[in-house]
Amino acid sequence: MKKLLSVLLASLMVLSLLAACGSGGNNGGQNAQPPSGGDTQAPDNSGGDAEPAGDVTIQVAALASGYEEAYPGMWQEVCDAFTAATGIKVDLICDKNLEDVIGPAMQGGEFPDVIHLATGREKGLTEQFIKDRNIADITDVLSMTVPGESAKVGDKIVGGFTDTSVTNPYNDGKTYLAPMFYSPCGLFYNAGLFEEKGWTVPTTWDEMWALADELPEGTSLFTYPTTGYFDAFLYALMYSVGGPDFYNKALRYEEGIWDTPEAQQCFDIIEKLASYTNPITPAQANDQDFTQNQQLVLDNKALFMPNGTWIVGEMAEAPRADGFQWGMTALPAAKSGGNGASYCWLEQAWIPAGAPNLDAAKQFVAFLYSDAACAIFAKGGAIQPVPGLTDSLEGDNKMFYSIYDNGADAAMGNFAAYDAVAGLGTVREVFLDPVNGLVNGSVTKDQWIADVKAASDQMRANIME
Amino acid sequence: MRRSKERSRFIALCVAPAAILFFIFMVLPTVNVFRMSFFERGAYSPTETFVGLSNFKVLFQDAKFISAMQNTVLLIVTVTLVTFFFAIVFAAILTREKIRGQNFFRVIFYIPNILSVVVIAGIFSAIYKPENGMLNSILSAISGRDIMILWKDQQMVIISIIIAMVWQAIGYYMVMYMASMSAVPMDLYESASLDGAGRLAQFFQITLPLIWTNIRTTLTFFIISTINMAFLFVKAMVAKGMADVGLSFMYNQKDAGLYGYAMAAGVVIFLFSFLLSALVNKVTQRDVLEM
Repeated sequence: MKKLLSVLLASLMVLSLLAACGSGGNNGGQNAQPPSGGDTQAPDNSGGDAEPAGDVTIQVAALASGYEEAYPGMWQEVCDAFTAATGIKVDLICDKNLEDVIGPAMQGGEFPDVIHLATGREKGLTEQFIKDRNIADITDVLSMTVPGESAKVGDKIVGGFTDTSVTNPYNDGKTYLAPMFYSPCGLFYNAGLFEEKGWTVPTTWDEMWALADELPEGTSLFTYPTTGYFDAFLYALMYSVGGPDFYNKALRYEEGIWDTPEAQQCFDIIEKLASYTNPITPAQANDQDFTQNQQLVLDNKALFMPNGTWIVGEMAEAPRADGFQWGMTALPAAKSGGNGASYCWLEQAWIPAGAPNLDAAKQFVAFLYSDAACAIFAKGGAIQPVPGLTDSLEGDNKMFYSIYDNGADAAMGNFAAYDAVAGLGTVREVFLDPVNGLVNGSVTKDQWIADVKAASDQMRANIME
Repeated sequence: MRRSKERSRFIALCVAPAAILFFIFMVLPTVNVFRMSFFERGAYSPTETFVGLSNFKVLFQDAKFISAMQNTVLLIVTVTLVTFFFAIVFAAILTREKIRGQNFFRVIFYIPNILSVVVIAGIFSAIYKPENGMLNSILSAISGRDIMILWKDQQMVIISIIIAMVWQAIGYYMVMYMASMSAVPMDLYESASLDGAGRLAQFFQITLPLIWTNIRTTLTFFIISTINMAFLFVKAMVAKGMADVGLSFMYNQKDAGLYGYAMAAGVVIFLFSFLLSALVNKVTQRDVLEM
């Protein structure tokens, strides 16, 4: 009896070892990734073994962001549609923590064929590939025909979207990253509250400060999820204060650009905004708690927060104040009569230089702009920069995407890529993280500006052309 | 002669798998860390350029690294002292006094040790929440006014991390000390109390010296594990840049695409922990007391 028992227990132990081998699940706590992350787990469809020779199979790694959460299976549907149109099979890896899932294999030299992962994320995987010049040139994709249709890819993408530093990082006219899922970023607020109190949405910063002084106790003007969300805010601010000329020079760290009156105005605005920010914001501005900061707007404890259109889906289940209605406005104008600006957030799809099936990968990228793919993406709320799509939007999304029709300028592009230098931080560390310090008083505006200038000089010296 | 040769071959075979795995997964990567610190490369690119000692030169002037190491030292000192104090005291109480439910307490204290750091971060998120979090609610209820301490903001963040780390580590060491304390024979205590020694004197003169070797070994382990756990806690609980420790600095350099620089930081941290443990080992050396 005793022997039988010990044999049973031993075999149970061995079996539990095998069970661990079988699961490919993604464990982890609430590690949502701002800015395009959701709050729950996305299923991890780890790619299986490659198909036997004869058919080409490409591996596509896509980030499971808020759009995938709003419409689970979105990416799988697109891949299936691609296989139906071209016969090329697709192994899809779709995960919320994509960098952790594909990173180790890539460090060993095995690259997926197509990666959909934007710049501006904390782990900076795409930026690292840009710095290492490890991305395939896809300028020729623009003149390819979209699989299943007769139009060329270049004709299907809205003008200007392949002309920015987001897609052409080396300023040489060649496109390396394909623009995906554009969404205007702006200040989100509770439109219901504004109606109730009879407030008008400020169109200039002076009106903004006037509104802040009127607020009741317990309500602050501003909050932000994490400092990472300030990138869109800063771009739009620079664009609206200084116009496209100043904006483009600032993105390339021109000498003395941070001493100009426009730059000083930007810094002053952010400093003043920090003083009107809900003081508990920095305490919750981390990966665990950033949704609590977003909750402040839902609870009328803060009026505005910088965010993107995914916020509606991300906070869909959260409790909110009575009469809550999502509203979005562009950043106010610098002075009355001017235009506000809204940063156009673009995600990117790209092909690593070490991709095993380059041609098939380019076909996949071309397919992402087909009507079929655009329709599937739209179900999850992800809008491709293809003309005519915004006409079919409904509800909140329609309001968000009409922001440019209401007089706001569109800002696009990002800080120029620079060679990694020991001791020099990332753009986020230099420009954005100190905002936490501005709010809780541990960093002064002058310190911040001095650090920005010093880092900017180094970045300019190492800019990648 | 033959017998011992066979025996040593058998022993070598038994030890071989563990030794080989240890070599491949522990020794080789450590050597690689040292090697990579003299080069510079991106995380995903295969080419590397030799830079010699320049990584180290920049490292020692990097203000972020200096402040990260200061945080590390602060955490090591405070967490070690607080954990060991409470672990030894609780172990002494649970062993000496005949408290009912002794095993129950052992289990309760040990549970935090088996929780994953992400789970602990989630628990403390709820505890440290500024509005309606557990700590602030209790403090408000006790003091009568509305207390809103920002536990995870710049001023309090180190204390918050210390509390979480101590909470996680106490159980493990308490259980270990309980085991070694129960090996101390009771008649020593009896004869001591006959001679007029009180509880406190018994603790310092009998218990502590007899478990001293145990304390020494666990101290070395704990210092090294704190360096690692501090990184995990800071990564899971705290906003980026607010309270970086040595290893999170190293991790951030990977995100910036500077693998060689990150490895240089790794080398410095490795040597630091090595020297610190050796130092602590030397300082706490005493004659071994046999019972």
